Amino acid sequence: MEKILSALGALGVEQYIVTEKHTDSLECFYVKKNLDLTRRADTAVTTVRVFRPFEQDRQRMLGDSEATVRPGMSEAEVRRAVERAWYAAGSVANPWYPLPAGIKEPPRPDGGGFAGKSLDESMKQMTQALFAADRAGDVFLNSAEVFMRRTRTHIVTSAGADVAWEKADVWGEYVCQCPAPVDVETYHQFNYRDPDTASLTADAAHALEMTKARARASAAPVTGTYALVLDREQMRVLLGYYVDRAGAGMIYQKYSPFRLGENVQGEAISGDKLTVSLAATEPYTDFGAPMADRPLLEAGVLRTIHGGPRFAHYLGVEPTGQYRAIRVDAGAAPLETLTAQPCLHAVSFSDFQMDPLSGHFGGELRLGFLHENGQVIPVTGGSVNGSILDCQGNMTFSAERYRSASYDGPLAVRLEGVSVAGR
Amino acid sequence: MKVQPSAFILEKRPLLLQLRDALCAQFAYASVLAEDTVGRSYRVSRHSVSVGEGDNVRGFVVKVLDGGRYAEYSFNQLEAGSIPGVVDAVRALLAADVRPAGLGASAYAPPEEEPTVFSGATEYEIDPESVEDGDVLARLTALRDKGLAMDEAVLDFVAWTDWQRYTKLFLSRAKDMTQSVMYLTGGVTAAAMQDQQVKQAYLPCSGLGGMELLARMEDNVAPCVQTVLDLTHSESMIPGEYECICDPETTGMIVHEAFGHGVEMDMFVKDRAQAPQFLGKYVASPLVTMHDGACSAQQTATYFFDDEGVLAHDTVVIDKGVLKTGISDLQSALTLGTEPTGNGRRESYARKAYTRMTNTWFEPGTDKLEDMIASVKYGMYLECPSSGMEDPKNWGIQCMVNIAREIKDGKLTGRIFSPVVLTGYVPDLLKSITAMSEAVELSGTGFCGKGHKEWVKVSDGGPCIKATIRLG
Repeated sequence: MEKILSALGALGVEQYIVTEKHTDSLECFYVKKNLDLTRRADTAVTTVRVFRPFEQDRQRMLGDSEATVRPGMSEAEVRRAVERAWYAAGSVANPWYPLPAGIKEPPRPDGGGFAGKSLDESMKQMTQALFAADRAGDVFLNSAEVFMRRTRTHIVTSAGADVAWEKADVWGEYVCQCPAPVDVETYHQFNYRDPDTASLTADAAHALEMTKARARASAAPVTGTYALVLDREQMRVLLGYYVDRAGAGMIYQKYSPFRLGENVQGEAISGDKLTVSLAATEPYTDFGAPMADRPLLEAGVLRTIHGGPRFAHYLGVEPTGQYRAIRVDAGAAPLETLTAQPCLHAVSFSDFQMDPLSGHFGGELRLGFLHENGQVIPVTGGSVNGSILDCQGNMTFSAERYRSASYDGPLAVRLEGVSVAGR
Repeated sequence: MKVQPSAFILEKRPLLLQLRDALCAQFAYASVLAEDTVGRSYRVSRHSVSVGEGDNVRGFVVKVLDGGRYAEYSFNQLEAGSIPGVVDAVRALLAADVRPAGLGASAYAPPEEEPTVFSGATEYEIDPESVEDGDVLARLTALRDKGLAMDEAVLDFVAWTDWQRYTKLFLSRAKDMTQSVMYLTGGVTAAAMQDQQVKQAYLPCSGLGGMELLARMEDNVAPCVQTVLDLTHSESMIPGEYECICDPETTGMIVHEAFGHGVEMDMFVKDRAQAPQFLGKYVASPLVTMHDGACSAQQTATYFFDDEGVLAHDTVVIDKGVLKTGISDLQSALTLGTEPTGNGRRESYARKAYTRMTNTWFEPGTDKLEDMIASVKYGMYLECPSSGMEDPKNWGIQCMVNIAREIKDGKLTGRIFSPVVLTGYVPDLLKSITAMSEAVELSGTGFCGKGHKEWVKVSDGGPCIKATIRLG
């Protein structure tokens, strides 16, 4: 930090953000029930973002650029890197905006459940929780990757910020395999801030159960239009449309028509109205200001435009920082009500995607349950291609909730009139 | 001119040799990989300008084998006194109590290594570091202004470029290898509104080399704007099975996503792929010959050796419709008793090596594109793929394509459908190929993930193909 501040001073840089990040990661890779590789990564990286005011065509501009400073770089190397960024910033002609004020606070220790435990200890605990679900024999964990990560972040800015915090989490992925009657697999990811062993075991058990169901699914649904029920991780992807479209950059550049105080869910709403909050997952923004939860939508009405200082200033709203998690109000209907009428309950996709620019969502169906004529038939194959713009007026959310690192809200939603390409 | 090796790597080389020797003295196998990557990224749109560093990384990873178990340690600080600390860190990792009761461990024999001393570098004409940032931005701004001026319906026009230059040094008991590679990628994107939807069209540009490649982007502005204007009249896809002509980019996505992932041999080790059951059998039309390899083409995934010190290959995966082999990293090859094919790649020094694709493509055919279109009674011309997802175990396809142009009685009608989800069973699709055009094009602007992470630079492509495909 001293070398960097010295270089900034020597160049006369008056506005800057310096972010130091140290990551210690312990990683275990399993093939079936055998540990195949153990890894550790111990890395430190510092980024320096410099801001350079200038005038162009009588307009006040603020250019910015960044340099990466690595451990072991000499004072001369640091100065050259910062100098390069400083000159580059002089070519970046964006209209002027102010750098938000930050705060100075003592370093915050990790407030999560992994605090005070070694990575080794936590790794063993979470791996045990994952494999605890693997008991059946006819369906099992094919492979797994578990990452225990501890990061320390320190931000210093020219606008008065000097904050530091520590955070630990566990994340990873696993593949479930069911060899009969058809040999199939399903892919799953996880991420927890706390040693929530019960949730990891329960999620893995559900994943194994769904993999068994996929092994029994033999045909794609018939091509047509369906009521579609989505659940779990697909919920975050689907509702990410509202988060993305409420971004200051999207709105200022006219990629999104969202306006504060407007009903962005549409005017004709016969289903549930959306109430969504942006949930802070870090204590500070990337410019060193405190980060707080904020209301995004209240009954479908936009309450917050979120984003960094530049586009926020252009739009005349408060800069908020970047949000990676949402909380959503649940509905009143139990899940069994959502599937009581004919529908396709899509449980697993190859890669469920939402395009926030067009509002189209979809993907290839790996497992679904077709509810019709009093029967529940597992199906696989074919694809879903829907538009949130067509569906958002008639969404029904479940009363049951689902929680992951980036989502806390209703377990499922029912959408009407979605196109499915199948048999 | 040849790309020069990183001064940082050259400076650290004596220390890295000491580290290699210290590790080899204690472990049955040890390797050291050092990486220094520099680059810059530039982007200009209607409302925004940016210059950044791109994915600049600099660091080291050591891999050791002890008692049949592999362990790796990644770090990015190496000074004269730090070698004992690195050796201790790896030893502590091997001794760590991280495995719950009831779980076992894989056991490996040391790899057999051919003594290899290698040094190689790719070539360029204009050194990107000799070009001022302001000059690059001025060229991109000119492209943006041209795009925006073409039609007032254009909401935004983005011009961007990234270049990257890396040097890697691989050391083991038998190997001492250095390579320096530079490539440039870029593209133009036009956006326009259709009701409440933003439609986008995109044309990429990529290759080995330096700033000389930027000139290729200029011809893409007008077609990109025309395509986005076409998209503002697009309709929702009518689900069904169609005769399709795929442009080279869409062919590339099918090659990569639908088939390439299924022949990554770390998937064979885990019993996560169907391909082993089809070795020596027809999996595609006899018209199809498929390659993968870092030296199979000159594109952004070209290198001389992989991150495990295995020399680059040109692997013929499918030969005239018959599946011949997969592609492999070193550790998978040890398990399977096969030869590694130079496909062991890391996202960076800080990540694990997996079997990864490089330049992946179909050989050309002998058909003319106009004849292929003329042969379609009713179908679609597919272009502008946006993403795809692998399913090696069940050989399902998911590719998202931005544009399907209607073909009726052998002619493009001007009717457009968007977006389109392309699905099906891989061998069915590949066996349905009945024509392939004469020219091969590869595109290397994209990155490939393993599952949803581990991003590495890849290129893919081929000729235009004619096949029967389910669209939704």
